[in-house]
Amino acid sequence: MSDKDLTKEGPGATVATPPREIEIVESDGHGGHTLEPEWKRLPIGPDHILYPVVVGLALFPILMGDAGHHLADDMPDDETHPFFPDHFWPYPIIAVVMLIAVGLLSAFVQKNLQLEASADPRAVTIPRPDWYFLFLFQFLKLGPELIMSLVIPPIVVGALLLFPFIDAIAGPRIARRLGWKRWPVPGRNIITGTIFVAGLAFIAFLTLWALAGPNFCLPYLTGKVCGA
Amino acid sequence: MAIPHPRDIQVAVVDWLDERYPFSKAVDEALYQRVPNFANAFYYCFGGMVFILIVFQLLTGVLLALYYVPDAGGNPAPAYTSVQFIQNTVYLGWLIRGVHFWSANLLIVMVLIHMARVYWTGSYRAPRELNWMVGVLMLLIILALSLTGYLLPWDTKAYFATEVTIKIAGSAPPQQLGAFIKEILQGGPVVGPPTLQRFFTLHVFVLPALIVLLMYVHFRFIRAHGISEPL
Repeated sequence: MSDKDLTKEGPGATVATPPREIEIVESDGHGGHTLEPEWKRLPIGPDHILYPVVVGLALFPILMGDAGHHLADDMPDDETHPFFPDHFWPYPIIAVVMLIAVGLLSAFVQKNLQLEASADPRAVTIPRPDWYFLFLFQFLKLGPELIMSLVIPPIVVGALLLFPFIDAIAGPRIARRLGWKRWPVPGRNIITGTIFVAGLAFIAFLTLWALAGPNFCLPYLTGKVCGA
Repeated sequence: MAIPHPRDIQVAVVDWLDERYPFSKAVDEALYQRVPNFANAFYYCFGGMVFILIVFQLLTGVLLALYYVPDAGGNPAPAYTSVQFIQNTVYLGWLIRGVHFWSANLLIVMVLIHMARVYWTGSYRAPRELNWMVGVLMLLIILALSLTGYLLPWDTKAYFATEVTIKIAGSAPPQQLGAFIKEILQGGPVVGPPTLQRFFTLHVFVLPALIVLLMYVHFRFIRAHGISEPL
């Protein structure tokens, strides 16, 4: 007696379900992505001497996993171009130009690379950080050390880290209150755009103030605080 | 037996790989996927420039590590003399160190410009919030790399700048926590050889590993979400 002839009744018995029709989706074999047609590609196939180079270039995106459904997949052909070589070619040139630039800086701006005397705790010197920390160094002088070093900077970093959520939650509410139709991106948003520019200007101001040296003070603004 | 032509060997290898994994199909998909024309704008290259600079940093860092001695005992310390040796004696050492130094400076500039572009065009918005957060973490790691790398030449400037940094970190309340952070960073009562050892370990092993990991996550997200729309 085969299994088909068995009648299943009682608790735990399976309920016979009518066979479902499985929908067949036509696939182009490339996960829904539009690829450059073969006749338009560079003629570098598996039998070409440069194929290993091409494979080397492809390894990077392959290792980065499957591509999702991108904007380009829904755009007309004349508004898109293939990744290789059209989109890729500027990068090797940028890399070479940057290498030449830093090489020239190394050759002609030796002053920054020269060492001072070997570290000696007994030496007397005014400590000064590298240029990218100068604003922070100057900022510390503007108020109580604890607040300026351990309260405000972590809050700023936290706000920066969570900014997408702050923008998504607070933005539309502000827009509604102001009677705006939508909450635009900072490039088109007078509020977030201004905050950004003002923040940069403040950082630049602090850096320049620190760079101006210990003799440069702004007594009207900050009391006795001077540059680095 | 006739020696096969290199091209035939190459085709055979590709066929062999294709039988086990859709190799050439994956290569085609990776290379010939289409990209929107607006992605050719110069400001979409900033992220790529950051990547290139990080690669420069990793490569020149490995070369510098061949000669650098992370030992701050004695005066002048071997760390100091090894940097002088790299700068003045090693063949093209000045260039390698120069590229490392200037790339580090340029890297901070480019990261900030890239971040500004992402902010300005609203590319941090859904579904890319997580990628923004990864990017901010990468910025913090790059700053930490700069901070730890600053001490390595072990000259007066580096010594006192690090002393101030540790003092600030060590003033975190409550007092016990501050003292703990200071002890962890400094490795002793004053900035000395254990401090250099710790900063070297962070600069050469821990932070580069973290940045490579975060870069991988960052690129995976970019690949999954695609290039964001322009303004």
